[in-house]
Amino acid sequence: MTLSAPGLRRRPDPAGTPEPAPVRRTGLRRRVRAAGWSYAYLAPMAVLVLAFVVYPIFASLGYTFYQWNGIGSPSNFVGLANFRQVLHDSIFWGAVEHTFVYAFVLVPVQLLIALMLALVLNNPRLRFRMFFRTVYFVPVVTSAAVVGVVMQLMLSNFGDAAGSLFAGTGLTGSHIDWLGDPHTALAVVIAIGIWHTLGYNLVYFMAGLQTIPAELYEAARIDGAGPVRCFFSITLPMLRQVGVVIVVLAFIGSFQVFDLVQVLTGGGPYFATEVVNTYIYHLAFGGGSGSGAVQPDVGLASAASFLYGLLLILFSAAQVLALRRLGRRRAGSAL
Amino acid sequence: MQMTASPLSRRTFLRGSALAAGAVAAGGALSACGSSGSGSGSGSGLAYWDWYVTQAPWVDGEISRFQKAHAGVTVKKTTQVSAKYADLVALAYRSGSTPDVFMVPQSPGLAEQVDRGWLLPLDQWATASWQSRFPAGTFIEGANVFGGKVYSAPLKGSAPQYQLYIHNGVFRTAGLTNPDGSVKTPTTWDEVSAAADAITRKSGGKTYGFGFGNGDNMGLMAWWLDLFVRGAGAPGGAPSGSGTGLDLRVGRWTYASDRSYADFLDLMVQWKQRGYFYPDSLSLSDEAARAFFERGRFGMTVGGVWNQPEWTQHRFTDYSLVTLPSPGATPKAFYYADPVGTGAFAAVSARTKHPQQAFQWVDALTSPAAGRRWVQDLNGVSVYPADNAPAGIDSKPFAAFVAMTAQELTGPVPVIRNPDLAGVAPQAPKSDIGDLVTGVYTGQIKDLQSALSSLAGEKEQLLSTAVAAVAKGGKKAAMTDYVFADWDPTRPYTAAKA
Repeated sequence: MTLSAPGLRRRPDPAGTPEPAPVRRTGLRRRVRAAGWSYAYLAPMAVLVLAFVVYPIFASLGYTFYQWNGIGSPSNFVGLANFRQVLHDSIFWGAVEHTFVYAFVLVPVQLLIALMLALVLNNPRLRFRMFFRTVYFVPVVTSAAVVGVVMQLMLSNFGDAAGSLFAGTGLTGSHIDWLGDPHTALAVVIAIGIWHTLGYNLVYFMAGLQTIPAELYEAARIDGAGPVRCFFSITLPMLRQVGVVIVVLAFIGSFQVFDLVQVLTGGGPYFATEVVNTYIYHLAFGGGSGSGAVQPDVGLASAASFLYGLLLILFSAAQVLALRRLGRRRAGSAL
Repeated sequence: MQMTASPLSRRTFLRGSALAAGAVAAGGALSACGSSGSGSGSGSGLAYWDWYVTQAPWVDGEISRFQKAHAGVTVKKTTQVSAKYADLVALAYRSGSTPDVFMVPQSPGLAEQVDRGWLLPLDQWATASWQSRFPAGTFIEGANVFGGKVYSAPLKGSAPQYQLYIHNGVFRTAGLTNPDGSVKTPTTWDEVSAAADAITRKSGGKTYGFGFGNGDNMGLMAWWLDLFVRGAGAPGGAPSGSGTGLDLRVGRWTYASDRSYADFLDLMVQWKQRGYFYPDSLSLSDEAARAFFERGRFGMTVGGVWNQPEWTQHRFTDYSLVTLPSPGATPKAFYYADPVGTGAFAAVSARTKHPQQAFQWVDALTSPAAGRRWVQDLNGVSVYPADNAPAGIDSKPFAAFVAMTAQELTGPVPVIRNPDLAGVAPQAPKSDIGDLVTGVYTGQIKDLQSALSSLAGEKEQLLSTAVAAVAKGGKKAAMTDYVFADWDPTRPYTAAKA
């Protein structure tokens, strides 16, 4: 097999150097066959992703044009009415706002705490540091639903001790229904969310810290740099690359919040903690913040999912552009 | 990487995996076959689905009796999660693994289930003489009968859905007693307010006047509005759900035009501001609230007869109940019997392989004897009036509940007047009356009148759309079918007609 197509002749080399031997290019089938085992190993996961991620995305796009309660086949074509309804639904926009509040409060606070803890736990002279690392990582391996149930029991169903916690201290005027008060419910959900997934970012930061060569700190100390200078001039710059990944992952995780909210508050009281994923769930499977009688509407839920997906794509693009611009600016200032 | 170092070669591993996967698949298929066999009734086995948990002893007893009376027929009961029951039935039909007999899910509506071919017509066995054992009006088009065919039968009778439960011990401690020492049960809004005030004040904040458990998002706050607003003269009440809560005198939702709604919601906010409500009520689970009431953490709660079996089980019977607390001495509207809403209890799947045995099981479940046991087990009232006789009911609170059937009047039922309305299936608003009451309670809804008006308009629009859809299908349906201008809510509708 040669590269030249039939009828075409290769120009003679003016230097008269001998033509290289024709490169043997293999066909697609042969290359697939050569990497057969790799494809075999990848196939199960690829099938699962196609079946449970890719297919539902495209299938749900079709459902957005129907009013359908999920029973039988969709037949009531409504065109773009579902999109119009979602876009004019104040509860949807409230859910978007709550989701963004959740993400934009949780991520910075959690990353700050995780970085501080990582610095402490990375100290080789700290005794029992493995124990502390385990303690901070345990919530991560606990199901969010379980965490939610336990917290719900503690805050609401074990009597009024939790609500009266600060009543005698003067911090609050009276008893607080932490999960039933619209002023506190979302804050409680965020606080629990910070605690629950803190361990992930802690581990990421610790991994990042361990990649920083110790020689840098030794040289800085010889030059007279103190701990604060070392942190801002060595640690933070060296963590920048891993930090970007951590920020992106933390935002992705935050925008997927569902089970914690569903178990703790169900989106209530009166939609005060409704996030987009619980909103979609309630549309698709019925139920809601205060009434269990809402009928499922898969079409409406699909439209809400589609719109939320678009919003996230826009946000992700903005995030990437912002990070890229920040990187360029820093690179420019470093020159 | 050297795979040969491992005693398990790649080929061996894959072969083993394939074998294991095959075995699992075969096992799954076999177990699916087993499940299907029992599900659709292999031999004379009947699969039966319900969502009854606290009523399970009654169901189990009926199964035992039925199996003794029908040798060779067994009933395999599966109790599903009530919140997901409708989804599970729909999925069962989609996957072809339907039970032979099942409690009729509330969604989709019975008419739609019939349209979809889910249910088996029972006319072959449900003869006129069989139907005659039920009260008149049980088998009418739109209620158990669709297209002239019988598809289901009732078990439960109508009684006031909600009651105000009163903890006698808390009332006594607060001094709320009559001269003869009995508990002074409040029947008017003022008396309820005064009782709550006395309980909260005299206990020094340790006990509250009211409490409830809305943590499970069951729309429970609408129960309070529904219970209190009827006595004030709003016959539609405040039930959650699509197409419910109409004031049938005008065929509209009167949330905004009938001041009873705003009046009660204002009163409720005042109660909250005065600290009468147990403060964690919004996030407390319904089960926990029941336990807290039992322990006397609050003196009054709103609920239904389903509370009673658990309290009885815990030997807690020192409570009273009243219904329809009103602004004045007598209620201006009541609860109304709804043969369509409460009529259908169980039905037979169209896919059953044992239709006769399946009908026999429906027959047994809805028999007068089973109804009597339903009442005696404190589950509720029976569709047969004779079953609800006070004799034989040991529990005083339950006897009080049964006596309340007198406060359930016969009301107008649009689908009886126009059977074509059976196909009307309006959507429910995303935010229904239960959400609105919660929003008012928490203070999130500031403009109450506007919120009430908006919800009434939305529900009316949804009903109007559903009616138009039925009319478009060639049936006679109009919004005027929901208007009964001659109805006096203080009198039984049929009596008024007579």
